[in-house]
Amino acid sequence: MPASTGKRREGGSDEGGAAMKAILKIALGIIAAIGGFLDIGDLVFTTQAGALFRYDLLWAVVLGVFGIGVYAEMSGRVAAVSGRPVFDVIRMRMGFGVGLLALVASTLVNILTVAAELGGIAIVLELLFDAPYSMFVFSGAIALVAIVALLPFGGIERFFGYGGLLLFVVVAAVVHQDPDWGDVARGLVPSLSSSTLYLYFVVGVFAAALMPYEVHFYSSGAIEEGWTEENLKENRLNAILGYGIGGILSVALVVASGYLFHPLGVEPNDLGTVALPMQGAFGETGLLLALGGMLFCVGGSAVDSSFAASYNLAQFLGWEWGRYQGPGKAPRFTASWLVFLLVGIAIAESGINPVEITEYSVVFSVVALPLTYLPVLLIAGDRSFMAEFANGRIATVLGWLYFVVIVVLALAAIPLLLATNAGGG
Amino acid sequence: MSGNADSRIRASAAVLLFAFLLAASGCGDLGKAELTRGVESLSALAAQGQLVASGVARDATKSTYARVMSKTLGEEAEHEAEKLADATPQAGTEEERDAAVAIAGEISQLLSELQTYPGDENHGSLVQGHLEEAQEKAEALSARLNGEKA
Repeated sequence: MPASTGKRREGGSDEGGAAMKAILKIALGIIAAIGGFLDIGDLVFTTQAGALFRYDLLWAVVLGVFGIGVYAEMSGRVAAVSGRPVFDVIRMRMGFGVGLLALVASTLVNILTVAAELGGIAIVLELLFDAPYSMFVFSGAIALVAIVALLPFGGIERFFGYGGLLLFVVVAAVVHQDPDWGDVARGLVPSLSSSTLYLYFVVGVFAAALMPYEVHFYSSGAIEEGWTEENLKENRLNAILGYGIGGILSVALVVASGYLFHPLGVEPNDLGTVALPMQGAFGETGLLLALGGMLFCVGGSAVDSSFAASYNLAQFLGWEWGRYQGPGKAPRFTASWLVFLLVGIAIAESGINPVEITEYSVVFSVVALPLTYLPVLLIAGDRSFMAEFANGRIATVLGWLYFVVIVVLALAAIPLLLATNAGGG
Repeated sequence: MSGNADSRIRASAAVLLFAFLLAASGCGDLGKAELTRGVESLSALAAQGQLVASGVARDATKSTYARVMSKTLGEEAEHEAEKLADATPQAGTEEERDAAVAIAGEISQLLSELQTYPGDENHGSLVQGHLEEAQEKAEALSARLNGEKA
């Protein structure tokens, strides 16, 4: 997530101090990106992947994390250079028809994601305070509205991003478990299997890392914070280091789960199970750190995905948008955000297990991925539009390679969902 | 549209509706593979329950967490028991189906006990041991269904 302002201080009697501040801002942005990287989809799919296949799917996690880094960097660069966020680019580049299709697909996925994240907040609060789930869905949403109303955009990101860092307890738990590191390393080597369940989880962990709302939010956030060409270095560091180091959390979740759950035959179908390895390693303290980190991660993702849904709609319809404008100057944007949140509450309150909602939202999102990432790739590589900031050779090759992978997975996602009964075997 | 076509559509719709209701009610035939899958799920639930109980036994958990997790896992075991009990087992697997229902009931009861005493280390330790036994029974049953020697 971009996390610092693009406004620069002019002139400079104190150039050293200004440079120090800039470095600090970049570092804080990266830390926020690390903490805000995981959402309920990552928590669920990585833990299940570890339990079912031990370390065999680590390569797919790394592939997904690297992919989101590549595309987030591109979308942030396009936003900083052109002042256009991803959805604006989709409509401009692909036309109204395809833009509308992308809007409908991404909105459906975003609503499911909002519902799943709100359900995730309620589950974690229920585990901490043992009060009814339905009460926590509602009160969790109210708390989100209050946080969004009270904090500036950068403050919202930092609040959830820094809180999410509590999940580094997973890394500590892995070190404490001391698994066979050779086995872990072997899991980083790509391997395929004829098992449909294995292939379903390849799609799941990859898609969970590349959820479309992440780039929608990232690029719109860049504009919220007034990024310009001067922020390109910051963008690159945020996207590559932030997501990259954040990916370590995903890898740690797979390893922690694979180490503890795989030999016992545990099937983690509940969000609460994600915290068990940390309880095993550090007792109640580990459990509380894990639950706290999960709460910040799913809370941050609820904000990101609901904002992404409103950004997309407002950008497609040409409304005034942006948290920085305040509700008075962007009333339709603000109203649509509240509506998306209400729809999310209604779905989460319907009694459907949030983990099931998550699985469907992640797998359906794969189908929407090409519509999100192709326009980004095309515009970021367009020299007539991006001039000297267009994709270089490495970004072009990586972008197209990832796009091929995305298309293959998009074609395979629904058949695999049906063949495996949504991972139920 | 002709009357014939109309009646064919109505018949197809009725068959589909019946199939849907049958599937939704869980009252269909219970094949050996599905029974085995159900028993494996019970084993997984027992294993997960042991981890929760172990936290209680070691005083290394938060009681709200242990209570909610026990409740959730217990409900899953109960649901599995109902699903298995309602279905008609494939000929020759009636005994295994009944054994699976009994194991599911046992797991559900143990988790209910943990839900009641999430802060009691002695109960935690006892439940952990009994869940381990329940898991062993489930694994033996699964092996029998797979034609392996238990």
